[in-house]
Amino acid sequence: MIKMKNVTMAYDGVNPALDEINLQVDRGEFVFLVGPSGSGKSTLIKLLIRELVPTKGEIFIAGHDVVHMKTKKVHLLRRNVGCVFQDFKLLPNKTAYENVAFALEVIGKPEHAIKVQAPEVLKLVGLNGKFDRYPGELSGGEQQRVSLARAFVNRPPLLLADEPTGNLDPNISLEIMSLLDRINKTGTTVLMATHDREMVNNVRKRVVALEHGKLIRDQARGVYGYED
Amino acid sequence: MRIKPIYFAREAIDNMCKNFAMSSAAISTAALSLFLVGVFLLMFFIWNSFTVETLSKLEIEVFLKDTAASEQVQEFQNKILSWDEVDTIKYVSKDEALERLKEKLKDKPEILQAMTGNPLPPSIRIFLRDAHSTEMIVGKIRNYPNLESVVENSKQDIKYGAEYIDKLFSIISIIGWVGLSAAALLCFASIVLIINTLRLNIFARRKEVAIMRLVGASKWFVRWPFLLEGMLQGLIGATIAIGFLYFIKVWVLRKVIEMIPFLNISISGPLFTKLMLGMILGGILIGATGSSIALRRFLKV
Repeated sequence: MIKMKNVTMAYDGVNPALDEINLQVDRGEFVFLVGPSGSGKSTLIKLLIRELVPTKGEIFIAGHDVVHMKTKKVHLLRRNVGCVFQDFKLLPNKTAYENVAFALEVIGKPEHAIKVQAPEVLKLVGLNGKFDRYPGELSGGEQQRVSLARAFVNRPPLLLADEPTGNLDPNISLEIMSLLDRINKTGTTVLMATHDREMVNNVRKRVVALEHGKLIRDQARGVYGYED
Repeated sequence: MRIKPIYFAREAIDNMCKNFAMSSAAISTAALSLFLVGVFLLMFFIWNSFTVETLSKLEIEVFLKDTAASEQVQEFQNKILSWDEVDTIKYVSKDEALERLKEKLKDKPEILQAMTGNPLPPSIRIFLRDAHSTEMIVGKIRNYPNLESVVENSKQDIKYGAEYIDKLFSIISIIGWVGLSAAALLCFASIVLIINTLRLNIFARRKEVAIMRLVGASKWFVRWPFLLEGMLQGLIGATIAIGFLYFIKVWVLRKVIEMIPFLNISISGPLFTKLMLGMILGGILIGATGSSIALRRFLKV
């Protein structure tokens, strides 16, 4: 699903934020991307959705060359990659339902399809009865659920999560984690960047560790493993 | 991807309403500039019909020597009549010339009384098919081989409206240039204002735009509402301008015609329709230019 070959990303052209990364993630895998702040987790995710173009190296997602992709094709890539972030990125002036519907609307889904898909996915993430709440009226965990619903509504084969539990309490984090796990069980590949030591150690999935832009460890059923 | 024109239009109108003050500034500048363009084009049309009409009344008058032999005058007349550009000619005898002068000066008999005898020369009045050939015919007359036998002075004795035409044209062109440069300046101002309106809107909606990009909206899906917004502002401006122009055409022009009835001013319906269409297109173009510049500069897709 994801294939990175010798990927180097240097924002200023000299000091690499990511240095010679080689990574392969297969379809249906769940991968933790761990590392302290500034180790390059977010950069790696941005590279995968072509928000950034690497200085060097090759990136393939589902067989598509992301690095040499034409700019006008990028939106098609993003439709197949769901994204969740620490700060949720919800529109404050739209309700939970509208936030999800908006994502479908802007990719040109017809109205009748939106009316079926949006409620369905909101129920899936456990927001039944809160469709008409605005983000400001929802708790952090609930907002992240809306965000997850939006990322998953289009059933993308790949879901990227950049510290999705970074702003949440441990028990709420676990709920989000189990949601991600459920999504993964439907066959969606999940790559989750986090520095939540406890969660990584409890769940025991594949762990890819970054430090100073280098991939220092790739371990099936791994642990967080930093002394911080 | 399905294109959603209704969605785009709704977004564009929403945006415009949310930013009412800026939008109205942009719209009114666009309206003002297009109105000015319209007024000057209208003036140009009126002047044009006016001058064409005046020009067609122009004639050449050749004053003859008193002593010219009648056969030579006859030959001269035949020659002039043989030119294609000449419609008719009229011989004016000394007596007729005096009659004309008396008619003109009937309010000032003292001038006529001061005159002894008949100092007026006979003349030939030449009427052309097309006023634009005036200069050419004057040239031909000056090149007539036996001119000195019928005309005293080839410069002074051939009269035509050349100077008058030149003056008229230069006045029109000065008015035209001043007006058009004012209009161009205002067009520029309205483009700048549209850019600014859109910049504010793009900034206000940057979160939405970021999310649209994130979930995979195509470039043009993000751009269309903004582009439409600019075009809509231009279009509304054009409509307002046309409204004012129509008022001018119908009401002001009627007043002018009432006041100066001998001026035969009129604007034909089809011409006005063309003008309206032009202004609408102009408005949309102003809007599209402004919004595309704003998109290029401020919207990173």
